[in-house]
Amino acid sequence: MSLLQRLEQANYQTTAIAAECECSYSELINNAQQIRHQYPDLKHQTVAVRFKDLSNFCAQILAFDGWCSKLYLLSDKALLPDDITLFPDGVSSIASQPEHRELLSKEITTHWFMATSGTTDIPKWIGHSLDSLTRAVKINVNNAALRWALCYQPTRFAGLQVVLQSLLTGATLVDCTNGDAAQRFTEMQRGAVNAISATPSLWRQLLMTNEMLSLPLKRITLGGEIAGQRLLDNLAALFPQAKLLHIYASTEAGVGFAVSDKKAGFPLNWLKQGHNGLSFKVDSRQHLWLKPPQKPDINLADRIDVEGFLDSEDLVEVTEDRVHFLGRANGLINVGGSKVQPEQVEQVLLQHPAVLQARVYAKSNSVLGQLVAADLQVAPNHDVKTLKLQLIQHCMASLARYQLPTQLNFVDNIATNASGKLSRKREDKE
Amino acid sequence: MNIEQHIKDSLTQVAQLANCHLITDIEQDTVLLQSGLDSLGFAMLVAQLEEDLGIDPFSEMQIAIYPRTFGEFVKIYQLALKA
Repeated sequence: MSLLQRLEQANYQTTAIAAECECSYSELINNAQQIRHQYPDLKHQTVAVRFKDLSNFCAQILAFDGWCSKLYLLSDKALLPDDITLFPDGVSSIASQPEHRELLSKEITTHWFMATSGTTDIPKWIGHSLDSLTRAVKINVNNAALRWALCYQPTRFAGLQVVLQSLLTGATLVDCTNGDAAQRFTEMQRGAVNAISATPSLWRQLLMTNEMLSLPLKRITLGGEIAGQRLLDNLAALFPQAKLLHIYASTEAGVGFAVSDKKAGFPLNWLKQGHNGLSFKVDSRQHLWLKPPQKPDINLADRIDVEGFLDSEDLVEVTEDRVHFLGRANGLINVGGSKVQPEQVEQVLLQHPAVLQARVYAKSNSVLGQLVAADLQVAPNHDVKTLKLQLIQHCMASLARYQLPTQLNFVDNIATNASGKLSRKREDKE
Repeated sequence: MNIEQHIKDSLTQVAQLANCHLITDIEQDTVLLQSGLDSLGFAMLVAQLEEDLGIDPFSEMQIAIYPRTFGEFVKIYQLALKA
């Protein structure tokens, strides 16, 4: 059943999206039907949508799921594949003809596509189905009273999870995707949210407001980064009645699981017994492998073993009774939930005439989990202080803020391995 | 050197590096989240202070106290350095 059909059937009488002008579920459904009427040529076609305004975004995904054959969620306009139409820019609207109306009820299964985060210039589009995307959604009558703060871009896996969770349970979404922690907190207060899904880094900043108790939180969800025990303890102490979950999600595998016992990592016995339809194993290199009930995207075939397990490329440590996450095996740096490819930052640094050699790596940080650090070999006769500023400015011109190297170490020599490549042993772990 | 002055200097330095525009005067009761330093800048400040002072009180802090103002932030460092 499509998203729109599910909502029509549920017939929620609540507010779907809280904003300057509130949008009820019936308005949202009407808006989605309007889009189908107005753009009948999109039926069974491929379409891409972006996120600008939450009400429009939700109406669009409702309109296109079950209606278009493929739906691309664009987190960045630059990612638009060549042959795909971006809605509504490249689409002509036609007043709906009677025969089109007749076709409205015939729905198809839509393939959803989201780009993997943290890749360099070529994004990998990973396909999902509505069923795989909503596997974690639990419908409970009490959930309709929740008011969810949306803190992630809804075109990303984590954000879409919040959107679908809220829509399918008749809850209310409050857009908190913009601005710094203080602005987001103001939005949360204004929207009277009682459920927040955010990265551990954002949670730490929210705690810095010292006013968290002004939000009557019933749901606390952490995801996108490793949730440490101290943060879990702090949140549990502040909100003892709230349901506290930390989520592990592999966007690529289209799977995730939630840990609800308020402890970091996940129970060791899941490795033996599985959990919620998901099977787990850890290999000799400490990689966590997952076997989802549905087949992962064909794009990932090279990472799936004969038993159907997918290498998550996340490093774990197995202790007496727990499996703890250590970080990414492939060297991706996780700055407050945003993934940074070290090679990309190295390439930018190397464009600067003074830089002879560069090695970029993760440095543990108690505020954002990890920061980007760089060892640099530079041409002689440079004033270190001036050069540092120049290099940061140089990086700012072509990198996002979270990708900036925040620590630049000038070194005499950068180690390369036997094959002449930069040695990339893990510098540190959580 | 006076620890408060040291933190203030580091803050100015980091803000320059991180391209953050600080509100003109950082006082005891300046709210950190409204100081103009964003989360990246704040993370850099903590990293810089760890390098200078050899401690990161936030990585070991067991209690649920997160500094709201600049004064509280300085106090956490003063206490951690005494300990």
